[in-house]
Amino acid sequence: MKKVTLDHVALLAAFAVLCVLPFVATGYVLYVVNLLMVFVVLALGMHVVIGECGQFALSHTAFYGIGIYTAGLINATWHPPFVVSIIAGGLLSAAIGYLIGFLALRMRDIYLALATFAFGEAMQWVFLNWEGVTGGSNGMRLQPADFFGLKLTNDLQAYPFVIALTALMLWLTVAISRSQFGSALRAVRESDVAATAMGINARAMKQAAFAISGAFAGVAGGMYTLFVSFIHPESLGFQTTILVLTMVVVGGIGSVRGAVAGAIFFGIISELLRQALSLQEIIYGAILMGFMMFKPRGLFADRKRRVARPVPQDGLGGGAMKGSRA
Amino acid sequence: MTLSDISLFLQQGVLSGLSTGSVYALLAIAIVSVFKTTDVPNFAQGEIFMAGGYIALVLLAAGVSYAAVIPLTLVAVGAITALFQRVVMERVTSSKGVGVQFVIATLGLAYAIKGLVRQTGLGDTPRSLPALVSSDAVPIGDAVLTRLDIAIFVAAVVVMVLIYLMFTYTRIGKAMRAVGMNPRAAQIVGIRLSRIRMLVWAMSGVISAIAALLITPKVLVTPDIAHIAILAYAAAIVGGFTSLPGAVIGGLVIGVVENLVGLFISTNAIVVAPFLAILVTLIVRPQGLLGGKVQVKKV
Repeated sequence: MKKVTLDHVALLAAFAVLCVLPFVATGYVLYVVNLLMVFVVLALGMHVVIGECGQFALSHTAFYGIGIYTAGLINATWHPPFVVSIIAGGLLSAAIGYLIGFLALRMRDIYLALATFAFGEAMQWVFLNWEGVTGGSNGMRLQPADFFGLKLTNDLQAYPFVIALTALMLWLTVAISRSQFGSALRAVRESDVAATAMGINARAMKQAAFAISGAFAGVAGGMYTLFVSFIHPESLGFQTTILVLTMVVVGGIGSVRGAVAGAIFFGIISELLRQALSLQEIIYGAILMGFMMFKPRGLFADRKRRVARPVPQDGLGGGAMKGSRA
Repeated sequence: MTLSDISLFLQQGVLSGLSTGSVYALLAIAIVSVFKTTDVPNFAQGEIFMAGGYIALVLLAAGVSYAAVIPLTLVAVGAITALFQRVVMERVTSSKGVGVQFVIATLGLAYAIKGLVRQTGLGDTPRSLPALVSSDAVPIGDAVLTRLDIAIFVAAVVVMVLIYLMFTYTRIGKAMRAVGMNPRAAQIVGIRLSRIRMLVWAMSGVISAIAALLITPKVLVTPDIAHIAILAYAAAIVGGFTSLPGAVIGGLVIGVVENLVGLFISTNAIVVAPFLAILVTLIVRPQGLLGGKVQVKKV
């Protein structure tokens, strides 16, 4: 029999709470839970590309936006069961993620971060200016999603599907992480040269990580269309990428439970402080600086699996972002 | 569009571009010098710049004379960045922080500054600093610049020359360069790393404050002016990200490109121009214009 770990207990408890919730909670609470689930999936997607594969990409929100608009537009045009529009959004995001993965073949670290950042900002510009498709700065109304004739018109109706999709994506992440493919991704993270020497196709792994990460963000976007009826490009900027990056890093880079915990923690904080924007920013800034000072590896640092790095000799603390651009 | 129109647009675009570009160049110098000596890509650069604008506004509103506002602003912003390095970044470095942690810590500073500015309520009524130089028109060729534009450009160039002299002839400047080349060797010959890093951050703060003082008579001070840092980042990348002369050239290039895009394509496209510049530079020539040879990472 498999050993029962704290993870299993936590999962069981979470499942129990999520089952009881719709019977006791108000619509607003369900909305927040739905939104948290979207953040969980976004964080899992970023975990794959940054945590598992070590590619510092800052374009996550672009894929999220592509997922939202694709799912929203397909739903508005053909009204298929929502599963179809979500899959379409995920696939399109994955395809574009694969293309953006080409950037990772040419550059790394800070340069990759800046190039993907530029792509993300350019995509926001596209969302804002492609008025014929996205409605531009007027935003776009999202039609109620359809589940074989049943219209999902409120948070309660969307809730079970959002939870189910989150569970599916969580299972997928764990499956990837435990597979041989996951080991290959981590080998590339530690050293792509060494990984190549072992016969791993590092280029393919990087592109696969980008595609999977894009797919996750696209699905998260599709989930968003299930319970929200309006999207404005304003919310698809760098801020959102930073929020998700924070979730992943503060939760613990390279750890699945870290990504989930970080997503829930920061999702709740940003929702609680929504009314007091300036206070939110100050607290947020303090948390970010505090964590990086005193717990830079995050809440759930993945100590067990982390391969020992060579101790930096230059007194600068690691060279993950230094120098090489080839 | 006739030939004479094109010639006029070209002259006007290049000249106004050099003026704004010189400010981007200053901010790019701040980013590059911090990155070279501490490995930190400073994502709070825009907010530090914005803080400079607000500190000057608050001091002026409090009745301090302009002659005192300028040095006070420079000192205040320099102190903020030095303190940030001393208290936060030093700690992040010593707890084995690497790139991601550095980025997040500077983003923390960015959020904190933005929140503090919003908290004061100053952001609600955008204002400009009064200009010291009149905005009379000065025709140059077919183009027309204001005296303010010319003053901005001249002041920025003077600051750049001072920075160049500092890096070339002073002990502190040489020590900063040494730390940028090889921190460990610099430490061995007796350079105190933490002190130099703090001074570099202070210098970057002072440069940011100068940039803010130069440009704020021309634009309204709002929390959104922090976005200018994106242009500075584009400038630094075009120049190679580790080269100070590259940062200057990159800044001027970005300024000119931005103006030409505005004149020839549309003002709407200005926003996306820096991102395209970043993407194109990184794809075509990842080492930038003056970034030196591509290094190969050793295992």
